[in-house]
Amino acid sequence: MKFKQLGFFSKASVIWLGIVMFMVIFGQWIPLPKPTNFDIDAMGVGLFDSLKHPLGTDANGYDLLSNVILGARPSMLISLVSVGIGGFIGSALGIIAAYKRGKLDYIVNTLFNIVLSVPALVLGLALVAVLATNPDPNIEVPTSRRVIVIILSLTIVIIPILGRIARGATLSWSNREFVVAARSMGMKDSQIIMKHIVPNVLPAIYAVAFLAIGVVIVVEGSLSLLGVGIVDGVSWGSMIARVRGDLEYAPHSMVVPVVVLALTVIACNQLGDVLRSQLDSREGRL
Amino acid sequence: MSSLLSLSNLRITFDTPRGELAAVRGVDLEILAGESLGVVGESGSGKTVLSRASMGLLTMSSAHRSGTVVFDGQDLSAASRDTVRNTWGTGMAMIFQDPMTALNPVRRIGSQLTEGLRVRLDMSKKDAKKRAIELLQLVRIPDPETALRKFPNQLSGGMRQRVMIAIALACNPKLLFADEPTTALDVTVQAQILQLLSDLRKELNMSMVLVTHDLGVVAGHTDKIAVMYAGEVVEYAETKELFANVRMPYTEALLNSIPRLDQKSSGRMAVIEGRLPDPTQPEPGCAFASRCPYVQEKCRTEHPELQKANNGHQFRCHFPLGASR
Amino acid sequence: MAGTGKAHLRNTEDTVLSVEDLVVEFSLSKKTAVQAVSGISFDLVQGETLSIVGESGCGKSTLGKAILSLLPATSGSVIFGGRDMTKLDKEAVRNLRPQMQMIFQDPISSLDPRYTVKQLVAEPLEIWSRGNAEEQASKVEELLDSVGIDPAIAGDRKAYEFSGGQCQRISIARSLALEPKLLICDEPVSALDVSIQAQILNLLQDMKERYGLTMVFISHDLSVVKAVSTRILVMYLGKICEIATPDSLYDSPKHHYTHALVGSVPIPDPTKKVAQVILEGEPPSPVDPPSGCRFRTRCPAATELCAAEEPQLRDVGGGNYVACHHPRS
Repeated sequence: MKFKQLGFFSKASVIWLGIVMFMVIFGQWIPLPKPTNFDIDAMGVGLFDSLKHPLGTDANGYDLLSNVILGARPSMLISLVSVGIGGFIGSALGIIAAYKRGKLDYIVNTLFNIVLSVPALVLGLALVAVLATNPDPNIEVPTSRRVIVIILSLTIVIIPILGRIARGATLSWSNREFVVAARSMGMKDSQIIMKHIVPNVLPAIYAVAFLAIGVVIVVEGSLSLLGVGIVDGVSWGSMIARVRGDLEYAPHSMVVPVVVLALTVIACNQLGDVLRSQLDSREGRL
Repeated sequence: MSSLLSLSNLRITFDTPRGELAAVRGVDLEILAGESLGVVGESGSGKTVLSRASMGLLTMSSAHRSGTVVFDGQDLSAASRDTVRNTWGTGMAMIFQDPMTALNPVRRIGSQLTEGLRVRLDMSKKDAKKRAIELLQLVRIPDPETALRKFPNQLSGGMRQRVMIAIALACNPKLLFADEPTTALDVTVQAQILQLLSDLRKELNMSMVLVTHDLGVVAGHTDKIAVMYAGEVVEYAETKELFANVRMPYTEALLNSIPRLDQKSSGRMAVIEGRLPDPTQPEPGCAFASRCPYVQEKCRTEHPELQKANNGHQFRCHFPLGASR
Repeated sequence: MAGTGKAHLRNTEDTVLSVEDLVVEFSLSKKTAVQAVSGISFDLVQGETLSIVGESGCGKSTLGKAILSLLPATSGSVIFGGRDMTKLDKEAVRNLRPQMQMIFQDPISSLDPRYTVKQLVAEPLEIWSRGNAEEQASKVEELLDSVGIDPAIAGDRKAYEFSGGQCQRISIARSLALEPKLLICDEPVSALDVSIQAQILNLLQDMKERYGLTMVFISHDLSVVKAVSTRILVMYLGKICEIATPDSLYDSPKHHYTHALVGSVPIPDPTKKVAQVILEGEPPSPVDPPSGCRFRTRCPAATELCAAEEPQLRDVGGGNYVACHHPRS
């Protein structure tokens, strides 16, 4: 589907996500004040009030714009990596299980159900608490370790979500006669899966993957809000967590990250929806 | 016999992404009371759209209809939706090809049967149940009392089709549209159902429009036949007359290309070359010209009108087969 | 009609396929199972077209897939090329596949919508590495030409852009790519319009002659089957009723079910009598079939013997065999 054919909201979503990706990739080279620059003179600068701080600052004088731009990377990194890896593993499991059926399918499906029954936040909390926290509160746990654990927990959450989509799509596609035809030609199962099942199942998967990215960004933010995210680092979630107490003094410092987060999630949802409806119409034709 | 249903210059088009689709292109038909008409055609002939439009079932916004539909003296094409709806059940009824999708899978048979009776004929629950059992007996379903409580998926295809017939006949319609009623059924079941329809028609003195692609089915169960191709009636005659004196080359080609049980097997079959017409790309001239073995120049440029022979046999061809060739 | 027995097997040198006592069972739950195919035997001689005819639930489609080992056989043997396929391992079966191909009922669904026509027809050649890229491309063109599809116009288009009849042609081209010995057609024209059916049936006939194929033709449509068969096998509820040549099957069916089947087909001729035979009742459930002859519950000539003993196939002359205690004369 070409860019021109998209509706207004879809075009806007693509543009916004483009901006976000720009921030992710090039953010560190944009000349900005350090996001954790404690500036007494610039505390609580309002929105659009100053050219030096276009989006204002929070109660500590941290520049909001630079926080947003530099915070994009951790937030997006976590969601893209966890959805990417989780999606890959989940889809592979789901496709193979659904194609082979029988006991394998039963086991994989049960595993999916077990993981799905655990709420994402609870899983994240548990894993971070166990793997990325030192009982001695004075010793800091490196941020990178935190990030890895968060990615790990979110990956585990995503695996069954996309895995079920893949499994459902595979179940319906592997009943088509062209799959039986491929077997009768003498194709090996692995070849059939790669050549005939995966290309047809992929659109369903990446349509939902987009939606999943949006969800994961919010989950990461929630984890930060709960104190187990990247609290001291720079990310959208931790921005929100940090300014929790300053709502009365500098309300815009909460509004900015929330709006940015919301726009990104909406954009992901919109594109995921568009992909899904495109998929439905194409399937309908077939 | 009086005219029960009369279609004049009926045209139906649909808006599709690929352009305007002319499903029915100017059809005139008349069905008399107590008569059985077969409408024969393949994909793209417009036969299903024709029957749905006659009943007023084409309500999607992409459908456009022009021409008149007169049922039992009433002009339905100009009437309100409520008037048209009032003819359903008591005036006209329809049975469909796939009984599984025509019946609601989550409602019991009894409830589906009595629905029409209670809504259209205002019957009480008790009377409706009695009538439902009568109807099931009419369509020869064994043990009707038990059948009332069953769900559609508990019945076989043939049974479901009988239930659909019972529902259609519940309010004693004057005209029954049967849209490919036996295509999805096994041949032995098909014979049972067709026999049932014939018997019922005579018992209830009902008219029937039998829409099908199977010439064998219409040969044995209709009084008159209309052959459709590319949205038009290309031949219309009494059944015996049509088979005895085929005038339109399409009908002849169709008859020749069907494998016949009663003929010696030969290995190769007569074939109609080419493809079925694309309803979004109407051709000038005769729609069958590109496939007709007798085609001449005039056929490609001039659209043939429907001609009438003395015995009522109508055909749409510049160079019809038979006597006048 | 319960039809077992092997009186009709010929066992000549020319035999391409020999099926003996084939049983295909599906388990519905831990306790119940249903036999779709209950002890079927038949053989195929080079150049023959055997049609397998029956109504829904008789097991003909299951039989077709079981012959190709696309479904596991519960017992019995399928002997092809001198080897019993039911006893071979997966890889050995796979290696036999190029010699036996199948055409399916739904022409559009049997082609992967993501690939172009050329890619689809070339696929079997790629799997088995028959020739280099150039040779494969020219073979694809040759195949498409022979089925009446112009490779230049249609080659790079996707399957869903074509009509049912054209898709079936593409399927046929694909199945012939590996030059199989045996072609199984599972209801190949049932989903097509009447005027297109004749085209495809003629095409199959042409291909059969051109490539020296032996065919199994599965269908519910007796009229279609009559035109293309050398022999016809009638099935009912997993068993064989009758095996006969087309003309004798239609002129004088010996089995009561065949008689009913033939009599139920509507003839496109209003002067001929309509449906001479109306078969009463419904087919019994395959989960719990009647004892003895499975057709006895609907047969006008059933006796006590029919309930007690399953009839075996026996010779009734002219190469025809019937499984019935009281066949029609």
